Amino acid sequence: MNKAAINFVLNGQEKALEVDANRRLVDLLRDDLGLTGVKLGCGEGECGACTVIINGQTANSCLVLAAQVDGTEIITIEGLGDHDHLHPLQEAFIEEGAVQCGFCTPGMILSAKALLDHNPNPGKAEIMDSLSGNLCRCTGYTKIVNAVENVIRQSNAKGS
Amino acid sequence: MSVVGRSFRRKDAVDKVLGRTLFSADIKMHGMLEAKILRSQVPHALVKKIETQTAQDFPGVVAVFTAEDIPASNSHGIIIKDEPVLVKDKIRKIGDPLALVVAETEESASQALEAIKVELELLPAVFDPEIAMKPDSVAIYPNGNILERRKIRKGDVVEAFKQAEFVVENKYCTQMAEHAYIEPEAGIAYVDGENVVVHVSTQNPHFDRKEVARNLSLPLNKVRIIQAPTGGAFGGKLDISVQVLLALAAFKTKRPVRLVYSRKESILASTKRHPFVIYYKTAADQYGRLLGIEATIIADGGAYASYGPATITRAAVHLTGPYEVPNVKIDAYIVYTNNPTAGAMRGFGAPQAAFAYEQQMDLLAERVGMSPFEIRMLNALKNGSVTATDQVLNSGVGISQTLEQAYATAQQIIFPGGLRP
Repeated sequence: MNKAAINFVLNGQEKALEVDANRRLVDLLRDDLGLTGVKLGCGEGECGACTVIINGQTANSCLVLAAQVDGTEIITIEGLGDHDHLHPLQEAFIEEGAVQCGFCTPGMILSAKALLDHNPNPGKAEIMDSLSGNLCRCTGYTKIVNAVENVIRQSNAKGS
Repeated sequence: MSVVGRSFRRKDAVDKVLGRTLFSADIKMHGMLEAKILRSQVPHALVKKIETQTAQDFPGVVAVFTAEDIPASNSHGIIIKDEPVLVKDKIRKIGDPLALVVAETEESASQALEAIKVELELLPAVFDPEIAMKPDSVAIYPNGNILERRKIRKGDVVEAFKQAEFVVENKYCTQMAEHAYIEPEAGIAYVDGENVVVHVSTQNPHFDRKEVARNLSLPLNKVRIIQAPTGGAFGGKLDISVQVLLALAAFKTKRPVRLVYSRKESILASTKRHPFVIYYKTAADQYGRLLGIEATIIADGGAYASYGPATITRAAVHLTGPYEVPNVKIDAYIVYTNNPTAGAMRGFGAPQAAFAYEQQMDLLAERVGMSPFEIRMLNALKNGSVTATDQVLNSGVGISQTLEQAYATAQQIIFPGGLRP
């Protein structure tokens, strides 16, 4: 198997690795690096459970080869917060009841983060559009969208 | 009582938003093996021979199991134990499990699957329950394909239809539906002293325990099932998926074994919502009051019973809807076909029934010249009403108030200025 040398920044830490040319990013993150917050739901880019942020853009890590991420910056759910310091989106998801089984949650939060990083004040339609690549079978989406709207409202209240 | 009326944070929510919750596929154990299932690609066949030697000799393969390796029973099922853990002699659907490969890596296991040779004698298959229930149909089981029947008889339906001013008669068909929980089935099993432990995505750990114990010929107290955080289920994780095979593999190899379905495998192997065919005939008097219902439900149960008998019971008792019907004749059948097994899914036969009876009400309203709201208010169950199964509803019947409130709210939304049509 051909190997590829890759250097990238993962959740703020520099990584230098050799990967098999056919290794998917999702497998590198989950199996080799132990970042199991990256979920594997379908393996074909339909469900969004494996969403990560690469250079500010969301990507299905099941559709990206590890060899392709050389020179990039990647954020997974593990890079967002910890028990003592939850990210505002994480806090809002809990508060709003937007978490049920939890399997779509990491990808959903990362898609919301990527949106707010680009546009801190999106409308409801834009929120729904940005989350449309992340399937949830439990919540019916309403509380997820509410959670994102709450974060926007709070951040606007702080800013004004 | 300190919790009543107050909102609390979910205990599991913090780990879930942090991505720290360990679902079954996230668990790794020292010396862990990976398992893969060889599944049938044909819907109906006799198994003549399964040759596993080539696969066993494959690099990285630790063991290959077939029906011969299951210590006892080789069957599971919540109501009827008609589903094999691994098929011994007869395939009844695409996706039926034929062999289990356990290897050092997922890749080895997948490659070894392809080295297993299966000799089959193909049989004609039947996919339409109305054809499957005929006496001359392809027989999936020796005693015919009708698994069970439920009957409801109340009053005199023949007389009701004689007196009817209006009769509405239709055939309703509903589709198969996949639960599509975002987490595919997964589990990991290991031996702990004398016990076998299965950590699994499931809705039914107590049932799982009994099925593992029975198939492995172990006493119940030697089997421990731990429900892992379960990434959605909706009824689809009430049946056995990986539990028995994982326990078998761990028990035989004495090493931890993990089995994770792909999405394709999850859709192929898991149960579905029962597709229904409903023949529905409604009789009403000149005012739109229901006089009688005569209906037949034919539920496609797929290859194995699963929750089918319970589903047709629920469907039959719900088929009159929340309406008072004095004369009722309902027959509900659950029929085996070579389709994917149908099982529990939210509502358990009641949504399929609602699809039919509510359309009947709308069509009847049109015939009588009433609004859909009026015909429902006229026929809604009340305190003191008697159901199709002769249950007297003494109190707590809220359908009329619910309809009135929904109607009032709808008026405000549709006619915000307070105008009524």
